[in-house]
Amino acid sequence: MLGQLAAVQPLVIGLLLAWSSYGKLHGPHVAAKARRTALSDLVGDRYAAPAYRAVGGIELAIAIALLLPPLWLVEALAAVALAAGFVGYVIYARVVVPESSCGCMGSAATPVRWRGIARAGVLLAAALAALTADIGWWSVQPMSIALVVVEAMVFVGLSAELDRYWLMPLRRLRVRLTHPLAGTASYEVPLAATQQQLLRSTAYQSVNPFLRSDIRDHWDEGDWRFVSYTAAYGERPATAVFAVPRLRYEPDEVRVAIVDESSGETLYRPATPLALVD
Amino acid sequence: MTGTIGRRTLLTSAVLGTSATLVGATAMGSLAPETAFAARAQLPEPGQPDPNFAEGRVVSRDGSVVMASGSDGRLHRIQLTGGTSVWKLRPTTVDQVLVGDGLYARGVLMPGGLLAAESVWVNIVNLKVHITAIGKNVLYLDHNGQKVVGHVVPGTSAAVYNGTAAISDLSMLKVGKHAQVIGAWRPDTNEVDLATIYAAA
Repeated sequence: MLGQLAAVQPLVIGLLLAWSSYGKLHGPHVAAKARRTALSDLVGDRYAAPAYRAVGGIELAIAIALLLPPLWLVEALAAVALAAGFVGYVIYARVVVPESSCGCMGSAATPVRWRGIARAGVLLAAALAALTADIGWWSVQPMSIALVVVEAMVFVGLSAELDRYWLMPLRRLRVRLTHPLAGTASYEVPLAATQQQLLRSTAYQSVNPFLRSDIRDHWDEGDWRFVSYTAAYGERPATAVFAVPRLRYEPDEVRVAIVDESSGETLYRPATPLALVD
Repeated sequence: MTGTIGRRTLLTSAVLGTSATLVGATAMGSLAPETAFAARAQLPEPGQPDPNFAEGRVVSRDGSVVMASGSDGRLHRIQLTGGTSVWKLRPTTVDQVLVGDGLYARGVLMPGGLLAAESVWVNIVNLKVHITAIGKNVLYLDHNGQKVVGHVVPGTSAAVYNGTAAISDLSMLKVGKHAQVIGAWRPDTNEVDLATIYAAA
């Protein structure tokens, strides 16, 4: 069994490296992709693209050697060296190009996560196992192909690049079955909706130059939602208050008044509704 | 609290026209926008930082004066007043500005370098994300490769689908899709409370 396991490793590694090299050698944006990797920190921006292609070329050469007879030990040694290089590289990338520390902002390169490191580690283990192979993968028992499938699934599971083909659909399915956000649906009108309506109203646009603040207070009463802002009326500090239809979208019915709170006087209130004035 | 209710009653009757104390607009002079703009004390000079704006993390708070350390190294002194609007996930009160919060403030720079704040936005973030997973009242988001956890706040979080009116129903959000999120950052974490999410339905 162990002999069979070792024997199929060149097939697994060969397929993996061939797929990996394809992404590095083929496609219209290879140079741009290369500059976004940690390679550009390692060898400099100028050499990132050639280095990226060179790694792809080496991967392809080793893949072909592993996949085609005859079975040479040197092929497995090359795979071990390459896999060890990958482990070193992803750890370097993790340490030297880490996630920026703010927690939310910035334009960091897609970071290396534990999965990437684990994948490189599994590849190294597979390459070490391949060293012990004494028969070629083309002469193993057909049953051993199942091992290849299992191992390929491990690599797929550890490849963030492939998540959209299996992980995203699974998560979508879970959302469809469990409806985790169903509780958010309600008849409450969010303040954001009121604000959208307010911003499109003639009343708001006509007093906009007087407004000094963002929304300061808001409250509901009957069919209205009231929204107040700090305002300046001439040199006089004042409060602008809007009445917005709460459950309807009727921006033309929005009413406004500018009030001096200290005296209780209404300084400005257009004849209502404002839209009919002009 | 009675103060708040009293204010609201006054303002409600003023805007609905049920109070009689209207001073004629003509008595107050011109309604032209220039009148209002003239009240602005300082205009920004080209190439200089806007004097009427401050940004940073709150390092200390002494009553209504907040010290904020700006990302450019400047220290801002910000005066909160009864007329200051404070946004922290939702419009709230000035006592919600806490040490450790990040803030943006806009107001008028007073002589002596104190910024009299008219508007303060606390911990506000605006992120372009894609939704990597959805859990019970939580969205797992990816912002340029960084994981951000977005908490749904019932009664506050709203969604704008395809630019239509905001609604509270977030259930049309889809895993794997892009979205833009306005939210309130929980300081020193990768978590935000969601205010408004703009997405395609």
